Amino acid sequence: MSTIQASHPFQAFPTRPWPGLARALRRVGAGGAALLLPALLLVVWQIAVERHWVSAQILPPPSRVLETFGELWASGDLWFQLSISLQRVLIGSLIGGALGLLLGLAMGLSRQVEAYLLPLFQALSQVPVLGWIPLLMMLVGIDEALKYLVIAKAVLVPLTLNTFSGIRSIPPSYLEVARVYRLGLLLRLRRVILPAALPSIFTGVRFALTKGWIALVTVELLASSEGIGYLMVDGRQMFQLDLVIVAMLVIGLVGLVLDQGLALVETRLQRWQRQAF
Amino acid sequence: MRGTGFLSLHGVDKRFPLKEGELHVLGDISLDIRQGEFVSIVGGSGCGKSTLLRLLVGLEEASGGSLRLDGVPIRGTDPARGIVFQDHRLYPWLTVEDNVLLALANSPLDKAERLARVHAHLELVGLKHFARAWPAQLSGGMSQRVAIARGLVNRPKVLLLDEPFGALDALTRAQLQDELARIWQTEGITTVLVTHDVDEAVLLGDRVVVMEPRPGRIRRIVPVDLPHPRHREHPRLAELRSDILQDFTRRQAIA
Repeated sequence: MSTIQASHPFQAFPTRPWPGLARALRRVGAGGAALLLPALLLVVWQIAVERHWVSAQILPPPSRVLETFGELWASGDLWFQLSISLQRVLIGSLIGGALGLLLGLAMGLSRQVEAYLLPLFQALSQVPVLGWIPLLMMLVGIDEALKYLVIAKAVLVPLTLNTFSGIRSIPPSYLEVARVYRLGLLLRLRRVILPAALPSIFTGVRFALTKGWIALVTVELLASSEGIGYLMVDGRQMFQLDLVIVAMLVIGLVGLVLDQGLALVETRLQRWQRQAF
Repeated sequence: MRGTGFLSLHGVDKRFPLKEGELHVLGDISLDIRQGEFVSIVGGSGCGKSTLLRLLVGLEEASGGSLRLDGVPIRGTDPARGIVFQDHRLYPWLTVEDNVLLALANSPLDKAERLARVHAHLELVGLKHFARAWPAQLSGGMSQRVAIARGLVNRPKVLLLDEPFGALDALTRAQLQDELARIWQTEGITTVLVTHDVDEAVLLGDRVVVMEPRPGRIRRIVPVDLPHPRHREHPRLAELRSDILQDFTRRQAIA
């Protein structure tokens, strides 16, 4: 610090107070920067436990959490619960995704369908996932069907709205070309409408999957005897907060992986956007 | 040979309804365009020249009067009428080849014949090596060449051009004008070019239709009595240009 200031005696406002840190950050790159805050949290967490700011029963040390994670992984329990949750998300998302895409397409392609469905759809979509659960529980019980429905609903809304608005914001000039060449509906969908709406649809898909994953955890917390959300309930009931934290970490990580995976698929699908020169 | 391609416009009128009243865009346009003729339509913005072209391609319907191709009323779009827009309007997610191929969607040709047709037209515009390129990889002039290939690939009777070179730089524009003249001569296709560039209108057209606005009307029709291929520097072209330009400057002096 002092040497830097000495070498720039006239600099009234040092723009880079910690040049060493900035340089180090640049070296580790963006990925490294993203890890900085979690690492800091980890340090604070460790200190909090060591200094007994919070009782170890409520906040177990990071090492204990890591140990629990290792045990759960080794026993296959973690993977078992996770696979059940992933399966629920997969099925629920496929149902909700297919319906959302169809609904969005129908409303996007036809002003008439839009007039009939959009207001109702918007009103219903204002009710959060949590608000649907009591009614759905009475209707379909608390078995798998409930999970599929809740996840499907969570996925349906963003996918429908994004597909709809994606189609509506296609430049009229693209549709005019389709009219000039008298493209039939199928060709128009495949060659013009879907590719043009794809960026918006994909934003919808990513958003929907995040929503679906959150809905899964919600419904598993409320009504389940299996799955990653249940693991959390179980841990809390047995006062095993390490278990709860492991479940939280896994939920966060899986969500991140799903989203990033989709981002990769998106780049692949839109390879035409890359320019050669 | 195409054999036909005779355009006949009679008393064409176009109004767009507004919230209050209506916008009178075209009034009483009557014009016959011979088979194989090149007609330039020139006018300032708002004279309805692009609307006239949209009526010819079938993207809009006239409010009154009749438009006929070879005696048959024009209704809706048809592969017999090809169009090139100012913005090339290629689909960025399709390769050059697929963009042109899409224009043949309703063609009776089989797949191999379609591809051969597409490649022949890409060669016609000098882009046969770019069949697999993405539009994003092309320059503005190249994209417009592809659009011309797409406009011609159905072997239409009429080629309609809506300020096709308006967005290009001067050098590329001159190059493409020469190329359009060459293509028109080899194909012998009836061509209607809408432009606000008087130079371009007289260089390419057998006749120049001068329009005036509110509502869009034909002010006069100027024959360009020079054989093709033409030389840009021909003194007769300069004469005609300044003659036509006077129409606009005089009008502005009044306005």
